[in-house]
Amino acid sequence: MKKKNNFLGDIAGLIELLPERKRRIERASPGPIGDDPINELARSLHPQKIYFEIAEVRDETPTIRTFKLVAAPDSGTTALPVFRAGQYLAFREEVQGVVVTRPYSISSSPREALEDGFMEITVRKIPKGFLTKHIWKNWKPGSKITSSGPAGFFYHEPLRDTNHILGIAGGCGFTPFRSMIKDAIDNDLDLSITLLFGIRTPDEVIFKKELAKYKRKMGKKLKVTYVCSEPDGSWKGPSGFITKDVIKKQGGGVKGKTLFICGPPAMYRFLENELAEFKIPQKRIRREVFGEIDDITAFDEFPRGLKRKKFNIKVHIGSEVEEIQAKATETVLVAMERAGLAPQSKCRSGECGFCDSLLLDGEIFVSPENDGRRMAGVKFNHFHPCASYPVTDLEIIVNRSV
Amino acid sequence: MAGRRKAILDPSYEAVVVGAGNGGLGAALQLALKGVKTLLLEQHNVPGGFATSFVRGRFEFDASLHELADVGSADNAGSLRVFLDEAGTDIDWVAIPEAYRVILTDENLNVRVPFGIEELIDTIESEVPGSRKAMTKYMELCKDVNGALGILGGIADSAKPDRMISDFMSFVRDSDNPIEEIASIVRKLMNLLRVISKTVDQVSDEYKLPDRARAILYPYWCYLGLPMSRLSFTSWGAMLISYMTKGAYVPRMRSQELTMAMESRIRELGGRIEYNTRVEEILVERGKVTGVRTSQGDEIRTSQIIANVSPTLVYNDLISPKTEVPKIALKNVNARKHASSCIVVYMGLDTTLDELGLTDYGYFISKNMDTDEIYDSTYVLDVPIMQATTCLNNVIPDCSPPGTSIVSITTLFSMDSWSDVTPKDYFKVKNRIANGLIDQLENGTGANIRDHIEEIEVATPATFARYTRSYKGVVYGYELDPWDGVIARVVTKEDEKYIKGLEIGGGFSFMGHGYNVSLLSGRAAALSTLKEMGVKS
Repeated sequence: MKKKNNFLGDIAGLIELLPERKRRIERASPGPIGDDPINELARSLHPQKIYFEIAEVRDETPTIRTFKLVAAPDSGTTALPVFRAGQYLAFREEVQGVVVTRPYSISSSPREALEDGFMEITVRKIPKGFLTKHIWKNWKPGSKITSSGPAGFFYHEPLRDTNHILGIAGGCGFTPFRSMIKDAIDNDLDLSITLLFGIRTPDEVIFKKELAKYKRKMGKKLKVTYVCSEPDGSWKGPSGFITKDVIKKQGGGVKGKTLFICGPPAMYRFLENELAEFKIPQKRIRREVFGEIDDITAFDEFPRGLKRKKFNIKVHIGSEVEEIQAKATETVLVAMERAGLAPQSKCRSGECGFCDSLLLDGEIFVSPENDGRRMAGVKFNHFHPCASYPVTDLEIIVNRSV
Repeated sequence: MAGRRKAILDPSYEAVVVGAGNGGLGAALQLALKGVKTLLLEQHNVPGGFATSFVRGRFEFDASLHELADVGSADNAGSLRVFLDEAGTDIDWVAIPEAYRVILTDENLNVRVPFGIEELIDTIESEVPGSRKAMTKYMELCKDVNGALGILGGIADSAKPDRMISDFMSFVRDSDNPIEEIASIVRKLMNLLRVISKTVDQVSDEYKLPDRARAILYPYWCYLGLPMSRLSFTSWGAMLISYMTKGAYVPRMRSQELTMAMESRIRELGGRIEYNTRVEEILVERGKVTGVRTSQGDEIRTSQIIANVSPTLVYNDLISPKTEVPKIALKNVNARKHASSCIVVYMGLDTTLDELGLTDYGYFISKNMDTDEIYDSTYVLDVPIMQATTCLNNVIPDCSPPGTSIVSITTLFSMDSWSDVTPKDYFKVKNRIANGLIDQLENGTGANIRDHIEEIEVATPATFARYTRSYKGVVYGYELDPWDGVIARVVTKEDEKYIKGLEIGGGFSFMGHGYNVSLLSGRAAALSTLKEMGVKS
C-alpha cells in the first residue's frame, strides 16, 4: 500500500471507518456493471440519427408527395423511435456536393412507427427549390436517406392544452395534423380536432379519401374544412383566406380550444390580425416554427443598406480555419452550407440550438421572430447560425458535426 | 472541400479534461489559469452538463439548479465565489432571500425558514418551544465539524507532513490568542472525530432533537439524497452550516451563466474546448494514461486526464485496453451505490407568483419529514411523497416576461424504478407522475397552477441520460454513507487512485455531489494534476 496521509489516516482509522470501507470493497464483485436500460431508453427515444430506406412514394397532388420510410438496419437503424404526434425530422441530404438539412413534419402516427415500423413525411415541391427538385429526382423506393431523431415542440400536451385543437394550416402545414388525427384514433384520446386548411387552388386538396375514414372513426370530434384562396367554378367550400369569420363560422370560434398554427410566415402575419379580436391568451396559441425567413430585408429591424452586401466569415472548426463568403441577406448557416462546411442543424428556425456556435468577432443580425438564444448565450456570444445574418465580417467557432 | 476533410485537433495536450459539466469546467479553468495547454472535451454542443438552461416559448428554464451554496455575499464570500472571482469569471450572482418554506401536509406544518444560525434556532424555537437548548448545541457541533473539515482541508493541501506542521505552527504563532486558537482547533477536531462515523439520525438522537424540530430542519437532506438514517453527519453538518452562514445564490441568467462564464474564461486563458466530441476511450499503458480517443476519431496524446465522469463508467467503459483496469478498481466502484436521479417539471405560467400566493423561492412539500419513507417512495414508479419546488421570480422578478412566472418542481427519483418504462409507455408514465406532482404542489400551497400553464416540460432519468449519458441517468454521485462520506473519501483518495495521471472531478469525487462541491472538486483534481506536473501553485 502507498503511504497514507498520516494525520488524516490516523484519526479515521481510530474509528473503524476505513476498515469498514476496506471490507466493503473487498467483498464487492469485480464483475462488469449490468446493462443500462435508462440510457437504452434515452437512445431509443432520441436517436442521434435515423437511417431510413424509402419503402413507397405516393403522389398526393402533382406537387405534393408522401414518402413512406422504414428502418435501414444495414445502415444502423433497427427500430424507429416513438415520437409526439406533430414532431418533425431534420433530413440531411447532399446535393451537388453541398450538405443541407431540412425539417419535415412526420405525417404518420407514433403507433405506426412503433408497431408497423414506418414513418411518413409529406413534402411539397417548391418552385425553383433546390432541395425538393433533388428529392423529386432522387428519392425513389429503395433509396437510403438519413434524418435526425424526432424533434420540435408542436404537439398536443394534455398537461398544458385544452382537449380541443383548432388547427390552422397552410402550405404543407397539414402534415403534423395528419399525425395528430391518427394518434387520436389509435389511442382513443379525449381530444377533438377542428382543422382549417388553407389551399391556393382546388387541386391542392389532399388526404381527402382518408379523411373520410378518420371522420367515420372520430365522428363529431373531427371537423376539417378546406379554405381555397383561388377557387374555380367547381369549388363549393369557403373561399378566400382564413379570416376571423372563417374561424368563427367553419372553426366554431376559439372558446375552449387551443390553436395550433402551421404554415408559411405570411400566413402567421395575416392571422395575427385576424386573431386579435379574440384576445386569446398566449398559452392557447402554439405555432410551429417555419424554417428560414424567405426575405429578411422585409423586417423593419433589418439594418438598412445591406441588401447587396457581402462579407467574409472566418470559420474555425476543430483546428481548421476556413474563409468563406456570405451575403448579408442569407443566414450564416446557409453561407457555411454553400461553402461545403456541412455544419449541423435541425430546426433552421433558431429554436433548437443544435447549430449553436460562438461569435469571436463582428456583428450579426438575429431575426427577432427566430431568436431562441439563451440569455447567457447572448452575454457570452453564443449564437444560432440558422437565424443569424452577418452585418460585418465575422470570425466564428463552429462545432464539428456529430 | 473543408466539410469533407476531417477537422482535426492538435495531436497532443498537456492535460485533457473529459466532460464540460461543473467539475470539468472547474478543472479546465484551474489548469488554464496556470497556463497548462488544456483540451476540454464535451459530447454535447454547449457547456454545463446538468448546469444548463433551455428556452421554451417566452421562458428560459434552468435544467437543474435550485441554489448554490458556498457563494456568499461579496464581503462574506464562500470558497466558490472566491475561486470564480479570482479566476476572472463574469457572473451576476443573485441572493436568495430565505432558506426555504417547508410544508408538511400530514403534520399541519407550514414554516418559513430564514438563513442565519440564530434565526434558524429562533424559528424552530417558536414552532417547537423548548427546543432552543438542544438546537443551539446541535448547531455548535455542526459549526465545529465544518470548521474541522476546513482545517483538515487546509492540511490535506500541504503536500508534506513537515510542511503541514510548520504551516500549522505559523498559523498559531500569527494568532492573537494562540492558546485559545489551539484549544478551539482541538475541540473542533475532537468533535469531528466523535461523529465521523455517525449518521445524521444518530447525532440528532444523541442531541435529543424533538421530532418537529427535525421536520423543520431536515428538508435540505434531498440535496444529498440519502435518508437521515444513513447519511453521513459530516456531509450534512457542513452543508447546513454553509447554507446558514453564507446563504444561497443563483446566477441571474440560470446556471448556464455560470457554465458559459467559465467556458468563456477558459478560452480567454488559451484553453481549448471541443463540443460534439465524446471521449470513448481513455488510453492507458502500464498503469499510466497516455491519451484519449474520441467519437470524432481524434486520438490525442496526453499524460494528464481529469475525468468529470463516474468512476463506474471510467473503469467499466472508458479505460482501454480493459487489461489495464485493476480488479480492485472494479470492486471499488461496485461496492459504492449510485445516488438518485430526478424528475423535474418545468412550468412557465401566465400569471404572477403574487396572484398564485406563492411568496417564497424554495418550497419543500411532503406528507411528513420521514426521510426513509420519502426515500423509499422514490423507488416506486409513482409520485414520490416529497417535492422541492422553486419559484424563480421571487428571486429574479424579471426572469420571465411581465405577468408571467417560472415554477419548477423537482423530486428525487431512483433510476431503478424507471428501468421498466418502455418507449411506448414513456410519455404516459411521465405525464402521470408530472400530474401527481402538480396536484401535490396545488394541495400543499393552495395555488391554482393548472389553469396557468403556458409552457411545460418534464425531465425524467431518461432525459438526464440523454443529455449527459450518466449511468442510468443518475444526477447525484455515489451515496454518502459514512463509510463513503467525504472524510472516508478524502483519506483514501491516494490509495484508491488506480491509474497514474488520471484524476476524477465532479459529483463522484471525494467532495460529494452538488453544484458547488462538484465544481470545486474539479478544481481540486486540477490542483492534484498540477502538483503531479510540477507546476507551482
